[in-house]
Amino acid sequence: MLEIAQRQPIRWLRRSGLLVLLVVLALLPLLAARGDGDGMVNNSTLFSLTQMLMLVTLASNWNFVSGLTGYIDFGHVAFFGLGAYATGILMSKAGWPFLPTLAVGALSAGAAAVLIGRATMHLKGPYFSIAMLGTFAALREIARVARPLTGGGPGLTLPPYLNRPLFYYLALGQAVLVVALYRWVRRTEFGLMMLGIREDEPGAEMRGVNTIFVKTSAFGLAALSSGIVGGMWAYQNTFIDPDIVFLDSRTIDMAIASVLGGLGTIIGPVIGAGLLYWLRDVVWASFLQWHLIVQGLLLIGIMLVLPNGIIGLLGDRSGLDPRRIWARRRKR
Amino acid sequence: MNRRPPCAANASPLLEGRGIGKSFGGLAALAGVDVAVYPGDVVGLIGPNGSGKTTLFNCLTRLDGLDAGRIHFKGVDITDHQPFQVARMGMSRTFQNIRVYRKLTVIENMLLSRQWRGARWPGLLRPSRPEVTERADDLLEFVTLVEQRVDLAGSLSWGQQRLLEIGMALMSDPDLILLDEATSGVNPLLVDAIRDRIMTLNTTHGKTIVLIEHNIELVADLCSRVVVLDHGEKLADGEVGAVLDDPAVSEAYFGRRGLNG
Repeated sequence: MLEIAQRQPIRWLRRSGLLVLLVVLALLPLLAARGDGDGMVNNSTLFSLTQMLMLVTLASNWNFVSGLTGYIDFGHVAFFGLGAYATGILMSKAGWPFLPTLAVGALSAGAAAVLIGRATMHLKGPYFSIAMLGTFAALREIARVARPLTGGGPGLTLPPYLNRPLFYYLALGQAVLVVALYRWVRRTEFGLMMLGIREDEPGAEMRGVNTIFVKTSAFGLAALSSGIVGGMWAYQNTFIDPDIVFLDSRTIDMAIASVLGGLGTIIGPVIGAGLLYWLRDVVWASFLQWHLIVQGLLLIGIMLVLPNGIIGLLGDRSGLDPRRIWARRRKR
Repeated sequence: MNRRPPCAANASPLLEGRGIGKSFGGLAALAGVDVAVYPGDVVGLIGPNGSGKTTLFNCLTRLDGLDAGRIHFKGVDITDHQPFQVARMGMSRTFQNIRVYRKLTVIENMLLSRQWRGARWPGLLRPSRPEVTERADDLLEFVTLVEQRVDLAGSLSWGQQRLLEIGMALMSDPDLILLDEATSGVNPLLVDAIRDRIMTLNTTHGKTIVLIEHNIELVADLCSRVVVLDHGEKLADGEVGAVLDDPAVSEAYFGRRGLNG
């Protein structure tokens, strides 16, 4: 009990800090709208903040499955891609308005995840990861081959729509909703079951947890949200093709953001995504030729020093140590 | 001894396995074993290392697939059930190599082991109900882990983890509890505590218990019946005294030379 009492001020600080951050984020586009174009906020800042918020959502989705149940998904961008293509196809070929396409994208990504999860979530550890990598690569090739529908390699062009604040608010709204949702789920019995699966799946199964149901439901929920991000991204980008949509480095970004912030915690991926974006900008600006090498080295260094992520540095060790991911599955 | 009298032989068994066979590669871990456990029994399952005791538990709880045989629990054929379905029917177990959720707290471990029968989607999306938490706290008292309530399970001593596992096995209010070496590696004081708890479970709460145990003294103390396995076959099955005096049993345990001089 004492422990909890001591943590009270920290919780208060965290809450008020979060509130201030949200208010600032909500007001940012207003600054841009007033015409302070060359000041702190211009359209390109808004664009890159939108991208960052999308990564916050994607990383949270990825972490919801991989960090909380321990199933490391190397192909999560597949669901982003399904959402992007749903919006792309429906808007460019069927002339649908934007918002309904998001719903279709979300549902198809969620349904695909439940079906794919049914098949792949029986696999343990690295086998699941590789199966998902394969699923993602297969979907990319399908998008390339199914030319009449997807436009194939040359891609699809969506009706252009330049409204940076709109995308910004959509991305911000989704990020806030998704993080709040995951935080709430984490505290429910369902969240406890997910952690049980991460810690000892056969043990959970033998104590009455329907593990395949829990895993696939979590997977479906995360994919649904990634599908929405995909749709927004497609419309904002006004152009999609298999290679820019099914981009493997997007999955890697989700993983890096989660691990950087604190794998298996709720706020970790949020911090991680922000840090990753900031790091990238700084490194990009200072090491134009070498930025990928420098960024890689920095990340390796951070992982070595902070296996529990930034959150671990703040004393929260409830997450998943990445070094344990594949070593932790004990034989009975 | 104030143990419950074993049920009449004509009662229908709570758990019945017939001709259970299980091989790993070319090795027959179980070669057609029959077991029956009657309501109210405390059955000891003994045998040398590698005789198939844990494999039998794994088959009975449906963790391992069977190569042969059928299993009935409460009159229902559970041979093709998933482990979680069997658990929900009221069979719970502990493990030889302790399986607690190491990075969750003791209370979370308990809450996660509740009876999930009938748990559905929307109902799962809320924190544990007060009656579940209450039950968890009562059981923590029963297994003497109240002070460790918010400690991580991985930080408990080996013996405390054993007690926690017993508590977890009780959370679902099972009718049948399978205890796999519940006292191995536990200090003598805790062994006594575990023995007391097992006894209370059977006499006061009417739980049927099967225990794998190497501590023969404990088996003689607690069990009404003993089943002996050796090399995947059932060597003996009957009253404690008679089985322990059986020369074939001591031979399996101590070897031919030990007997013949």
